[in-house]
Amino acid sequence: MVAASVTGLAARRLTSGYTAAMVLLGVGVSLLPLMVSNYILTFVLQALMACALAGSWNLISGFTGYVSFGHAAFFGLGAYAAGIAIAKAAVPAPVAIASAAIVAGCAGLCLGYPALRLRGPYFAVGMLGVAEALRVGITVAEPVTGGGRGLVMPPQDVLLPAYFSMLALVVLIVAITRAVATRPVGLRLLAIREDEVAAEVTGIQTTRLKLVAFATSATLAGVAGGIYAWHMSYIDPTTVFAGSLTVRAIAMTMLGGQGTVFGPVIGSVVLSVIGEVTWARFPFLHNAVSGALIVVIVLFIPRGVTGVLQDRGVLPRSRTL
Amino acid sequence: MTGGAEARIPEPLATPLLSVDDVHAGYGRVRVLHGVSAAVEAGQLVGLIGPNGAGKSTILKAITGFARVSAGRIRYDGQDVTGVRADRLVPLGIAYVPQGRLVFAQMTVHENLEMGAFTVRDAGARQEAFSRVYDLFPRLADRRTQLAGTMSGGEQQMVAIGRGLMVRPRLMLLDEPSLGLAPRFVALVFETLQSLKAQGLAMLVVEQNAAQTLAIADRAYLLELGRNRLEGTGADLLANPETRRLYLGD
Repeated sequence: MVAASVTGLAARRLTSGYTAAMVLLGVGVSLLPLMVSNYILTFVLQALMACALAGSWNLISGFTGYVSFGHAAFFGLGAYAAGIAIAKAAVPAPVAIASAAIVAGCAGLCLGYPALRLRGPYFAVGMLGVAEALRVGITVAEPVTGGGRGLVMPPQDVLLPAYFSMLALVVLIVAITRAVATRPVGLRLLAIREDEVAAEVTGIQTTRLKLVAFATSATLAGVAGGIYAWHMSYIDPTTVFAGSLTVRAIAMTMLGGQGTVFGPVIGSVVLSVIGEVTWARFPFLHNAVSGALIVVIVLFIPRGVTGVLQDRGVLPRSRTL
Repeated sequence: MTGGAEARIPEPLATPLLSVDDVHAGYGRVRVLHGVSAAVEAGQLVGLIGPNGAGKSTILKAITGFARVSAGRIRYDGQDVTGVRADRLVPLGIAYVPQGRLVFAQMTVHENLEMGAFTVRDAGARQEAFSRVYDLFPRLADRRTQLAGTMSGGEQQMVAIGRGLMVRPRLMLLDEPSLGLAPRFVALVFETLQSLKAQGLAMLVVEQNAAQTLAIADRAYLLELGRNRLEGTGADLLANPETRRLYLGD
């Protein structure tokens, strides 16, 4: 905001060029179904899902610094809410996805209220425990959830509608992030990350703000889970509560730049492509790649690609990036 | 209590802006304050001095809700604010500058001040607040686009004080504003406190630097082990042989 004005016109041109590139990426992805095979479409759908998870994680963890290792919990809850609604009540997809949003959002409020009192590693590990406890809970609740064998929905071919739903979700997440980042509320969230005591003494109602951000993040992750369940027509606890979902979301956000608008998008494009290339030849390597990448990023480029480009003067220090 | 009549000021007749009455407070099960009282009248600069562990910072934390008050009352401007947290005190006109220069390191100087002013809705009042702070600290005006984390300790302290001033407080609580600063910045901090006092701002200042604080304070309290030990005007305490023996190290 302020710093961007230093280099004036050039900075503004760069910023709008960058934004234009991102818009083009979105248009390209939305036109993709016209020209490519279902295989590629499924791959892009998975990349979009990863991007939705990374973007929703970024809203709480990237901005406030409350790193959650349990983000998959909300994805899983959303998946099961939608899955149960489809399998047991045969509701139409929009209703199923809305119930995913409601269940994940309410869970975010109820879990965030106690969990956000913890800070730093305690919060991170606490959320890890929450995700694991939910996975076990869903497994045990066999009559409703199908337990460890998973939940089967009537199979239907919904690749295209699911594809566009996930794309819409990603666009929504980016729009929300941009709205947050360019308004004072974004600065307030970043203030919590910088120093929570200092934030409080300037009059920021930190508890309320954190809770709203956390519940929003949970709702969006839940919607991603709902779309996933609808598309796959089969879910099981190990897959939808997988810690690797969270780890990949963290790796993608950190690679792109946490607390930025387009960081999670950049990170998910890069890591999804790398994952797809290594996946075919080395089936288990992509998890190791994510893990190793987090270590490398934290050590060498803690502010991600966006931060590096800003430090080198390639991109201006604008909060709209 | 020693020191004779000059160190024992009679209770003021008017209601003080801030009054701390017989407050017991601490963290968890640890008790730090065992019944401390203090008062700040409008426009006064009041010093809190005492050796390490006396509970000076804890009084400020008790006022701002960071330390738990188990007994006693804190009143501000006629209302009971015992246990009210810092974010709710800001709209009432209390600014708190914690110890250790807690600036937002990854934000620019201007953004730090902006954070201080976000409860100020009126755009004109915000502009006025910015120019008031930049007038007080011209150095910050020169560096408004610099990241606060890259500044010297003294400059960061200016940012922290300036951020507190953005809401145009009636009372400012300052915890060790000169701690760890280079000598010329220590002098600047005390000059700043004096000019803020001249503008009518009431302040409650916790300081290690007792002699300089007493020299500019209207009133001061000397605490020891969580209890009031001496009180009086700054000059009284400075002259008091007990203060010198207990604390100034004569």
